[in-house]
Amino acid sequence: MLFPLYWMVNVSLQSGGGAVATPWFPAAPSLDGYVRAFNDQGHNLVTSLVVSLGSVVLSLVIAAPAAYALAQFRIRWATWVLFGVLITQMIPGIVVANALYSAFSDLGLLNSIPGLILADSTAGVPFAIIVMRAFMGSIPPSIVEAARVDGAGQLRAFVSVVLPMSRNALITAGLFTFLFAWGDFLFALTLTTTEDVRPVTLGLYQYIGTYVSDWSPIMATAVLSSLPAIVLLLVAQRYVAAGVTGGAVK
Amino acid sequence: MSTRADAGTLASASGAAARQSRDGGATPPSRDGRSGRSSARTKARIAELAFLVPALVYLVLFFGYPVVKNVLMGFQEYTTKTFFTGEAPFVGLDNYSAVLSSSLFDKALLNTVLFTAGSILGQFVLGLAIAVFFRRSFPLNNVLRALLLLPWLVPLIASAAVWRWILDTDYGALNRFLGALPFVDGNPAWLTSTSLALIAVIGVNIWLGIPFNATILYGGLQEIPEELYEAGALDGATGWRAFRHITWPLLRPVVTVVLVLGVVYTLKVLDIILGLTNGGPANSTQTIATYSYFTSFKEFDFGQGAALGNVLVLLSLLFAVIYLRLNRKAVDE
Amino acid sequence: MARRRVLTTALAAGAAVLLPFSLAACGGGSSDEGSTGSGGSAKLTIQDYYNDDPGKTVWEGVYKACAQTAGVEIDIVHIPGSDLIAKVLQQAQSKTMPDVLMLDNPDLQQIAASGALADLSQFDVSTDGYADGIVKASTYDGKLYGLQPITNSIALFYNKKTLADAGIQPPQTWDELKTASAALTKDGKYGLALSAINTYEGTWQFLPFFWSAGGDEKDINTPEAAKALQLWVDMFKAGSISQSAVNWTQADVNDQFKAGNAAMMVNGPWQFPSLAESGIDYGVVPIPAPQAGEPTVSPLGGETWTVPETGNKDKQAKAAEIVKCINSDDNQKLLAEKNNTVPTKTAIAEEYGATNPAVKGFADLVPDLRARTGELGDKWPDAATKIYTAMQEAIVGGKTPEQALADAQNG
Repeated sequence: MLFPLYWMVNVSLQSGGGAVATPWFPAAPSLDGYVRAFNDQGHNLVTSLVVSLGSVVLSLVIAAPAAYALAQFRIRWATWVLFGVLITQMIPGIVVANALYSAFSDLGLLNSIPGLILADSTAGVPFAIIVMRAFMGSIPPSIVEAARVDGAGQLRAFVSVVLPMSRNALITAGLFTFLFAWGDFLFALTLTTTEDVRPVTLGLYQYIGTYVSDWSPIMATAVLSSLPAIVLLLVAQRYVAAGVTGGAVK
Repeated sequence: MSTRADAGTLASASGAAARQSRDGGATPPSRDGRSGRSSARTKARIAELAFLVPALVYLVLFFGYPVVKNVLMGFQEYTTKTFFTGEAPFVGLDNYSAVLSSSLFDKALLNTVLFTAGSILGQFVLGLAIAVFFRRSFPLNNVLRALLLLPWLVPLIASAAVWRWILDTDYGALNRFLGALPFVDGNPAWLTSTSLALIAVIGVNIWLGIPFNATILYGGLQEIPEELYEAGALDGATGWRAFRHITWPLLRPVVTVVLVLGVVYTLKVLDIILGLTNGGPANSTQTIATYSYFTSFKEFDFGQGAALGNVLVLLSLLFAVIYLRLNRKAVDE
Repeated sequence: MARRRVLTTALAAGAAVLLPFSLAACGGGSSDEGSTGSGGSAKLTIQDYYNDDPGKTVWEGVYKACAQTAGVEIDIVHIPGSDLIAKVLQQAQSKTMPDVLMLDNPDLQQIAASGALADLSQFDVSTDGYADGIVKASTYDGKLYGLQPITNSIALFYNKKTLADAGIQPPQTWDELKTASAALTKDGKYGLALSAINTYEGTWQFLPFFWSAGGDEKDINTPEAAKALQLWVDMFKAGSISQSAVNWTQADVNDQFKAGNAAMMVNGPWQFPSLAESGIDYGVVPIPAPQAGEPTVSPLGGETWTVPETGNKDKQAKAAEIVKCINSDDNQKLLAEKNNTVPTKTAIAEEYGATNPAVKGFADLVPDLRARTGELGDKWPDAATKIYTAMQEAIVGGKTPEQALADAQNG
């Protein structure tokens, strides 16, 4: 299972491309690839980070109230909203990217961080709605009622009672939203052309043309770009499992 | 990676669904909503709807609009000229009849079916095996489970490049390993022979899909109360029998979900095929998804490309409907 | 397609997904409608795909010199090669076309057909002294839409040491090529490397064989075409070419050659810098002909310069001046020298070949270079797809060359 990932690290520590047999172990590891990757891609890593975090914030702001409404209010067509959310996931990404290009070009959102945040949230928003809805379904309504009796409005009750209780759901949804945005390549390629705004996935792609015969910086970039995911996974093990199973784990 | 997101989204829905159907359907709070005539009530209603508005607006803008656009494009003659003149005459069903009658379509459809079926079967069986394995507690269980998710998180470009080397006929790690075995002769051309390329692509896709399957199924397994196994053990149901009579029936809802989701997600797979074989050799790994992409972006016939894309969405919808039917109970609260 | 940028198939493909939408935000409003500053000189946008060095710097130098001569300011935009056409389409749609546009020569027909380019004859651009194939490639429907300063093609590169050790002369005919490739295949190394990939790149590599045998893109289902395909199939079957070649780009081919995995390769002069870096001792000869003494017909590579229809006649006239300047005799020589390519004016090419032995093999080809779009115009991409499809079907798909060509021709 993990061999290909080992291979990636192995290649990143060696020089030479795929045209020759790569040794099984990096006997004489060199960090050149990493140095070059860091110099070239440092800026892009920061871009990715900003975009991913932005996408987390946006997705949660949009999704949390909706999830709460779908879980707790008696809305007759809630089922249909949920259907809709599920169906959005059947649409090939390219179709969305195509349409966004022309819309963004009119709005001046091309080559901009806000544009990427908006586009990358197409993965995060539906996901976050569903995860959080599953969690929020189990919040006892009596607690919210109690807050309402004390004179809090719907919004205040939501902010001061529901959100703190849904901390786990928010963290889970946020974590995944982050990873989706981090790994996005389609929107990065579609909606940017300049070097100022270039997520690391696209940086990796541009590298391939430049370092055709020396793959170590390319693979080093790949390893670097996987690190946030690895760190998050180890730190947030519990939330990840819960997120994938959508609250099935109590 | 939107595809991953999709899978995640649906999965979480299904997880909840599974849980609720087991709980006998969790009922939501019922706030006495029998008659909403008083203005206070109406106000409250509006306040409640306001919670949904941002999400609805977002979904309509970012999904509704593209879909409508694509459906329209499927009925238009949309080529390079269109970009300059802005003219895209409506041609009825011409695009559909053109793509459906092309010789490549049948091949692509067959490959799509094989690719989807093969991927799902592999991901599911291996994912289930791994999930069952992780139920036992042993040291490092958590760390390993985190690592297991990695293939799902590494940028696909990197994964594709690494797999291309591993599978390289002459210098790839796989063939070097096989070559060291006594009973293997020759170097299988994993990515460059028409008979093996589809198998290789399916293999890589299985690798990519295992984490997802294993994690969801693991979540489902965690839901099964330990007492059931203890009771079963008294009746002499252990090992395989316990799996058959206790685990499997209780896991069924999750299984359904994982399979249907897997299908929807696999139908859309594009980048991994492009990355490994570009649909080749000799179209042996061309699926509807890759065919749609080539038609639009290599031949610049965007109308036909959109038509193919719509065929793909229809296929997915078919499965979505099945999925929703199976989970009707859970969603219909 | 001397596509200098050659991405791995994987990536090219992945990216292309996004092509049409790769964006065209001309930063800073460089293409403001005829914005005339207080200085009164317009600012023109030049767009190409030379996005990496050494080429990038060389070209930028020429642009700047030409802009100075024409008395205009310029903005230079480099788009990665695989995204250029997509981007041009987008620009056409949003009416943000650059003032001077570089196109890979086989793409010109399609773009001209869409009505996006200006007829250069109105700016009295002359084609005197250019090789025929060059003019043909930039002409659509009888009108001239582009001018190409330098060209390239593909030839046979060989590892001098490997051939000398084996006592083999560089092959000149198909039979010699077959024999030499087979003899040079040993110890896990291959005799020949080429790109038989399922993209236009694969078609481009096959053309010198296809055309020299008398194949014709109008109808690929002919005995001549089958003969050329049979040659490739034989070499694959004999194991003289690695089967992985059906997945190789020209950059991958070059990697194999540099790593010593192949004794000979089919490739172009844009690989010179990378080969020099590797320190490998190599020679270049024309692609072998079917029979001794017959000519090799090679495909015409390189990029042509156009003036898009922006609707601003004054700026277009200035843009045409820049196109002419890029194509001046001196610039042809300079560009050819710096980019290891060949001037397109026959007289200059001849003189240049005499003084540059490294590219002589390529310079000799110029008068007879054949444009891919020469016969079919904007219908060429369709034929190119048929050619690589037939090629792969015969090499790995188990069809006979005749069958593969017939099936591909009949779609």
